[in-house]
Amino acid sequence: MSHVAFQPRGPRVEIEADFVVVGSGAGGATAAVTLARTGARVAVVESGAWRDPADYPASVYGAMRDMLDAWGSNFTRGRAYWPIVQGNLVGGSTVINSAIAVRTPRDVFERWQREVGVGGDLAPAVWEAQDDIERELCVEEVPPASRGRSNLLAKKGADTLGYEGHFMRRYIRDCRGDGQCLQGCREDRKQSLNRNYMPEVLARGGDVLSCAPASKISFNKQRAVGVVGRFRHPQTKERGAEFQVRARKGVLVAASVTRSPLLLAASGLKNPMLGKGFRAHPGTPVFGVYDDPVDMNTGATQGWASIAHREDPGFKLETLSLPLDMLAGRLSGAGTALMERIGEFRHIAMWVHACRAETVGEVRSTLTGQPAVHYTLDRADMLRFRAAVYLLARTHVAAGARAILPAIHGMPYRLMPDEIDQLKEAPLDPRAYVAILSHLFGGCVMGRDPAMSVCDGRGRVHGRDGLVIVDASAIPSNLGVNPQHTIMALARIWANDLAAA
Amino acid sequence: MIWLIKVAMRAMMPRTAALPGIEDTDLDGFLRRMKRDADFLYWLGLVAGGVVFAISPILTVFVPLPAFLLPRGLLAKHAERVVSHPIYVVRQAAFLVRLSAGMCWGADPKVRARFALAPYAGDPGTFRSS
Repeated sequence: MSHVAFQPRGPRVEIEADFVVVGSGAGGATAAVTLARTGARVAVVESGAWRDPADYPASVYGAMRDMLDAWGSNFTRGRAYWPIVQGNLVGGSTVINSAIAVRTPRDVFERWQREVGVGGDLAPAVWEAQDDIERELCVEEVPPASRGRSNLLAKKGADTLGYEGHFMRRYIRDCRGDGQCLQGCREDRKQSLNRNYMPEVLARGGDVLSCAPASKISFNKQRAVGVVGRFRHPQTKERGAEFQVRARKGVLVAASVTRSPLLLAASGLKNPMLGKGFRAHPGTPVFGVYDDPVDMNTGATQGWASIAHREDPGFKLETLSLPLDMLAGRLSGAGTALMERIGEFRHIAMWVHACRAETVGEVRSTLTGQPAVHYTLDRADMLRFRAAVYLLARTHVAAGARAILPAIHGMPYRLMPDEIDQLKEAPLDPRAYVAILSHLFGGCVMGRDPAMSVCDGRGRVHGRDGLVIVDASAIPSNLGVNPQHTIMALARIWANDLAAA
Repeated sequence: MIWLIKVAMRAMMPRTAALPGIEDTDLDGFLRRMKRDADFLYWLGLVAGGVVFAISPILTVFVPLPAFLLPRGLLAKHAERVVSHPIYVVRQAAFLVRLSAGMCWGADPKVRARFALAPYAGDPGTFRSS
């Protein structure tokens, strides 16, 4: 077993394995450990560094520097420039997310079958895999001592309005409620995959190359036989030695929704569907100001959610605590007005929505080979988006907020409780909102028809042998719930299929 | 270009009676680190934000002077207006400056103490090397 981190220029690093997995996030790490448990020799190549809790940054600046892909500077190209948040380290986004575990809803499989002709038979296997993953990663409800006031207020607001809301189930053991999920859990309570599955891959005789972005997949005729790339130092960006990993049995791609299609294209695949079918859950916050301190950084970063409106009109609501060093970017204004607004920090609770958007975008390559996501929410999605903002404001009021801060361009900075109906007429121009895209899907979508998809219902790339997609890029629709659990389950099933083939 | 960014950040997060301003933090050190560490596209956007802030008073306070020559009162008014300017790219450029300023300001121990927050433990920047 070995972990090979950045190697300076010199002799090429060469490794041979049964399977090579590109990427070590939710899909890649799960596929890797699944294959390793079958006795196969597995190698993982990951573009980011391997950081343990002692290496985790504390500040937002440190998190952007050490954990985010391209400093979080990847953003949508369209009417609005919305950041796309993705982790870039061993464990991928599981290190920087809130570890939310939501089972794949039944209607998702029915939709896949109806729209792309595959996936309808996956439900039992996915749920069985999710049973196993929940046991392995200690999924539990946010414990009462770690709920924090923001999460409790959200529950109170939803209860008052009479819609479903619940404390989340997360891959976290004995959460201490430090509110530091987004910078990585320094208390080592979060079960991010750099802490369990990836060490298990090593323990089972596998190899992990970190700081190792793959540039191409190698083929022998139609068969994928390995991966090549060049090490890159995570701080200096210095280009290091070349690496080559030969795969005797197969190559699994889990480089992310934005990177997997580009990797396949760079490797010579000509499928016109590469990069197509990009979807996401765009979201934006609504702040409530309360009489008593909320101290939203006390308690679980994300501890409460509601999926009551997932199907109609199509959004999920969640709490999300914001560090002080991120707040200035999210509140409106500048100068003394901004400083006065920030002065209310302890009394502010931030809740967000994740819109189940039906808009379809596309991932393309820039001239420098970086991903460019072309995506603009259409009017129907903006109506969903606005409805979610309004409901969040109503929920704050129901929880006792004395004011609402909607953070929408063209709207007043502060709305009193009797003024929130103004949000029903909030702008439908995406440029009026400071939103982000999380929960990305598509780019290498699965489907029965090779002319309309990149891979089949088992992640196998059409027209190639031994090449399987095991990340969210294969998912042909959005889910309306947090996707990590679905991605991991699919990766486990498809990796087992590959091992059995 | 760093001084242009500093002018913009100081105008956006000034000292008030209740709170320290960004000028009370190690802004020079922060920007040096950011220039060294940041992804090129991020740094480019930040520099562009500083430039936009400098040249846009004609769009906000209707004065044909760069921001760094504005009197204090007009500079404050310019800062408030540029972050909510009707032209999207103008306010987005200013947004990136404000976001970055907030990262510097909100991580400062003096500032965090005002909000009953513990000082940050630091960003080691380390990783497994073998």
